[in-house]
Amino acid sequence: MTEAMPAFSLLHPETLDDALLALSTTPESRALAGGTDLIVNMRRGLVEAPKLVSLARVPELKRFETTENGLVLGAGVMLADIADSTLVREYYPALAEAAETVAGHTHRQVATLGGNLCQDTRCLYYNQSHWWRKSNDFCLKYRGEICHVAPRGKRCRAAYCGDLAPALMVHDAELTLAGPEGTRQLKLAEFFNEDGAQANRLKPQEIIVSVLLRAPRGKSAYGKIRQRGAIDFPLAGVAVLADCRKQQTTFTIALTGTNSCPILLNDLPPLGGPAEADGYFDALSKTVQKSVSPQRTTTIAAHYRRLSVAALAARLARQLWEEGQP
Amino acid sequence: MNAPDAKTAPKAARRHAAGHPTPLLDGVEKVTGKAIYTADMNDADALVGRILRSPVSHGRILRIDTAAAEALPGVIAIVTGADCDKTYGVIPIAMNEYPMARDTVRYRGEPVAAVAAIDADTAARALELIALEIEELPAVHTTRDARQPGAPQLHDNKPGNIEREVHHEFGDVSAGFQAASLVREASFHCAEVNHAQMEPHAALAEYDAERDRLTLHSVTQVPFYVHLTLARCLDMDTSRIRVVKPFVGGGFGARTETLNFEIIAALLARKARGKVMMRLSREESIITHRGRPATDIDLKIGLDDTGRITAVECSVTQAGGAYAGYGLVTILYAGALLHGIYDIGAVRYDGWRVYTNTPPCGAMRGHGTVDVRHAFECLLDRMAREMGLDPFELRQRNLLQAPTRTLNELMVNSYGLGECLARVKKASGWDARKGKLPPGRGLGLACSHYVSGAAKPVHWTGEPHAVVSMKLDFDGAVTVLTGASDIGQGSTTIVALAAAEVLNIDLARIRVVTNDSVITPKDNGSYSSRVTFMVGNAAIQAAEELKRKLLSAAAEKLDADPEDIEPGEYFHVRGARQSALPFREVALAALAREGTITVKGSFTCPPESQGGKHRGGAVGSTMGFSYAAQVVEVSVDPDTGQITVEKVWAALDCGYAINPLAVEGQIEGSVWMGMGQALSEETRYQDGLPAHAGLLDYKVPTMVESPDIEVHIVESIDPLGPFGAKEAGEGALSGFPPALANAVQDATGLDMDVLPLSPDRVLDALRKARRKPARKEAS
Amino acid sequence: MKRILDLKINGAACEDAVADNMLLIDYLRDQKGLTGTKQGCDGGECGACTVLVDGKPRLACVTLAHDCAGAEIETIEGQSRNGRLSALQRAFHENLGAQCGFCTPGMIMAAEALLRRNPDPDDDAIKRALGGNLCRCTGYIKIIRSVRAAAAMLARDAA
Repeated sequence: MTEAMPAFSLLHPETLDDALLALSTTPESRALAGGTDLIVNMRRGLVEAPKLVSLARVPELKRFETTENGLVLGAGVMLADIADSTLVREYYPALAEAAETVAGHTHRQVATLGGNLCQDTRCLYYNQSHWWRKSNDFCLKYRGEICHVAPRGKRCRAAYCGDLAPALMVHDAELTLAGPEGTRQLKLAEFFNEDGAQANRLKPQEIIVSVLLRAPRGKSAYGKIRQRGAIDFPLAGVAVLADCRKQQTTFTIALTGTNSCPILLNDLPPLGGPAEADGYFDALSKTVQKSVSPQRTTTIAAHYRRLSVAALAARLARQLWEEGQP
Repeated sequence: MNAPDAKTAPKAARRHAAGHPTPLLDGVEKVTGKAIYTADMNDADALVGRILRSPVSHGRILRIDTAAAEALPGVIAIVTGADCDKTYGVIPIAMNEYPMARDTVRYRGEPVAAVAAIDADTAARALELIALEIEELPAVHTTRDARQPGAPQLHDNKPGNIEREVHHEFGDVSAGFQAASLVREASFHCAEVNHAQMEPHAALAEYDAERDRLTLHSVTQVPFYVHLTLARCLDMDTSRIRVVKPFVGGGFGARTETLNFEIIAALLARKARGKVMMRLSREESIITHRGRPATDIDLKIGLDDTGRITAVECSVTQAGGAYAGYGLVTILYAGALLHGIYDIGAVRYDGWRVYTNTPPCGAMRGHGTVDVRHAFECLLDRMAREMGLDPFELRQRNLLQAPTRTLNELMVNSYGLGECLARVKKASGWDARKGKLPPGRGLGLACSHYVSGAAKPVHWTGEPHAVVSMKLDFDGAVTVLTGASDIGQGSTTIVALAAAEVLNIDLARIRVVTNDSVITPKDNGSYSSRVTFMVGNAAIQAAEELKRKLLSAAAEKLDADPEDIEPGEYFHVRGARQSALPFREVALAALAREGTITVKGSFTCPPESQGGKHRGGAVGSTMGFSYAAQVVEVSVDPDTGQITVEKVWAALDCGYAINPLAVEGQIEGSVWMGMGQALSEETRYQDGLPAHAGLLDYKVPTMVESPDIEVHIVESIDPLGPFGAKEAGEGALSGFPPALANAVQDATGLDMDVLPLSPDRVLDALRKARRKPARKEAS
Repeated sequence: MKRILDLKINGAACEDAVADNMLLIDYLRDQKGLTGTKQGCDGGECGACTVLVDGKPRLACVTLAHDCAGAEIETIEGQSRNGRLSALQRAFHENLGAQCGFCTPGMIMAAEALLRRNPDPDDDAIKRALGGNLCRCTGYIKIIRSVRAAAAMLARDAA
């Protein structure tokens, strides 16, 4: 049978302050959003926490509004609401498309923006039962000494597999974080770490409050490599933003599923005219290939993830560019 | 064209009950949530059973110390290999597995001990307290490693880890190849797959210590095997055991054999002198396995200049896992089912079933034939191309003429493959579209077949192959008693339709009671698609017997000859409806003669159906084969290697569709399961640890990528089938993977020799082909 | 530690002492005897446990019972009213949307949520809504047909 849930107490604070207080009073407590990642991991014995602080009833996390700075999305906004939003579809299409590809429809009814950004990294040696991991002497990420993916390396190679992060990154999203030390702002691109054991820079007991999206600089799209049309995490995912101005198009690309954190490519050379296009997109594909380093964290070969996501990136970029041509 | 001549083709008779699309008799329970599956049974007074599993692939057990676990409050019983020294296994001559390992563990996940405790927490803590000391031995996880000289040996009596070798030759193979004008060879590898039935395994065992009786509720497809195995492993008299099968959430062969957790639950219940609920996790259910083995196939086919198959040479190696299980049957099936579909001049078959340190394989839908059919239909397609023949034409030139017997003495009495081909050719628009689709898009064809039950069961007792009882009582209801396991395929409904048809009565008058060993007659079980043919025939015979009694009673009341009376909801003399007697009145008249009426029908496969006299000749023998042809349309993404199945056209000759709704459902389900194996499903072991043991990593297709499947039912009316029926649930499965591979070839120019055609493999092949500019490629 | 949980299940108010770490699926199955909701995987992978919480589909196997305090839970058992099958139940029965039946309760509940927000879904909409619900028997053909049949039934009833 599946493992019994570990014991914990569950709190339902109704304000952000109460939530932060509840988290700070128990250092090992964990914030619970939709639960589609955390509860699954708890059922597999991957997380132990004496206290869970549910964020479900915190109104400050539900914001979904346009401000003078741009669109503010609370961390507690459901992925289904992002996918269905006409506003997001029109101005930040990559984000709507990414949200639409997460797991299944039922997951998206409860999975949140913040939860998706903070989801745990994944690895075939980690996302397994207690018996499995114990039979394999555990691993560097949790309770073990070595990384089975790269036994000679010193860090965990688990892959970051959130779909939303790259879509938000190409739109230069900013986070508002809150914790015991107060509130701070951080570019999403600076939020992540290339370390499978600790993929983000949240401080202890800190949570994401909201995400700010400024006016879009161009058209965007998201593509996902996976074996099945639903349920699957990305083997790799890519968001592309094309900023088309007169003769020149500048692309911003962000990738997920390939490394222990999402990868942002925001200094790509611009594409001039149509004559350069074929060569440009070939080179772009090669640049993407070189920028990512998928490891043996999935049963599908790592090189496939690199090649397919690079091809998909070039294809999306070309589509956006072609749409932008007169 | 070999489609049957309209004048001579048997025609399905217009019938009263059979032949009409009929919702399942137990469907209301399923849609209302009232259907009770094993895990749903009341376990308020049951202990929680859990299994401790081997952490290593191969090792000698040095010590199992349960003292600390036993001392934990709330632990009621612990069993280990020491509690059962009886082997078990589905094949009486090849039982080499203990419910819990005794001296040696042979795969990661093999049970070594189990606990029964008052709750799940206690059971989990008890498992952690069992001290297990194992001396690890070198392990082999693939047939290549297992067959190396000096490889670690899994079983002392099986040198070279060869569980079973088969060498069969029928006809003159060398002469056949000499007569061929085109001879081609190819090698294929098909990955291991798992049934992944939606319901995880579960068993509820209750031991009555006062009366030394055991009751087991389980997820089994064959309660009768479980019954015999429990008697053997618990050393109990069979009369003290009761086995009940509640609703079962799919089987696909996973639950044909008795499984270790069923025996362990019973051992725990007896030791605890109480009731134990054992619910396996999805991971444990996948580790329990018994799926289709990883298979290597070397195939050689010879065609003469008219495209006739003159000779076939095939060698097959299967990685069977750590124990015998069904292994020898699987390796025999793989060879036997080279026959029975086409008219082939000569066939040589060499098979090796190999032990590996992985969970034991077993029977899975399309048992034995799927991977070999894949190889055969792929190679045939390549040769058609080389000869410049249309794939349909090549197959049509090799059709059998029924009735016939194959080279290996299999009986073929009905044969609708020609019509299946004609139907899917027309439906798919083949002639107009093949070769004219845009780059990256393609069409592929393949044919397949399967047995309608094994004509010689593995437990050969001389009894009839199927028995059905019927009871008629004062209420006028007909109660059908059958041991046939409905696992979702609709067998209960088939049995009721057969009775309703013969008696000419409403389906609502019939109730079917199934699968309780104290009530229902023994049945050989739901495997090898035997139920419709065998149990259906037995039900017809029982109903005929009941009809005879009713007609006799009605004749007396109506003062007429029984032969002149039409039975039904109202019995009447033919042509004289005005003096009709209601069914219940006739029933009461019949009851007045002898009281409650019980009748029995049985069915026995005649000796001539039971295959050749050669060793292993019984495997593959059947009363009749189903036949299928299917066309698959695909598109292939050149950047990602992702295959999209756009549409499937499938035709299956099921003899006669007793329940066309269920036949459609079976064809759709089997084609789709073939798609899973062809596209995405495979097991992956990391040094013997299953990296696929969940529904995230074992890639059962979702609704999103599942295509439309257009089904055509072909009715060849088998002379011995119930109303002409044959099987419908397996025959179409093995045609999908080769039809897909042939379609991918059409789309991309790639001949791929592996299954599944996962996107990584397709992209690798596309990239390799791009480096060879001569080949056509997707753009 | 157990606390009182108040919620409604299939229209009936319930008040139970429930541990903080109890999953909704275990609460429904073990404590309320509502075994129509199925567990098919080890967490969040198959959809068999889909129920409605305040009208929205939820996976009961990754939902804490106390997260549903005050909510309205609907399970497969509550779908038939006065012994009459719901449109989806009838359609799944008549069109063989259920073979072994194990995925059926979750499938019907996910479809129920779909039809409430989109009474006339096309095949793509059905696939998007039910993509997270695995079935191993049907190849999904007759499930899609069942959902469309139920939509037609409801449209007829409304007309």
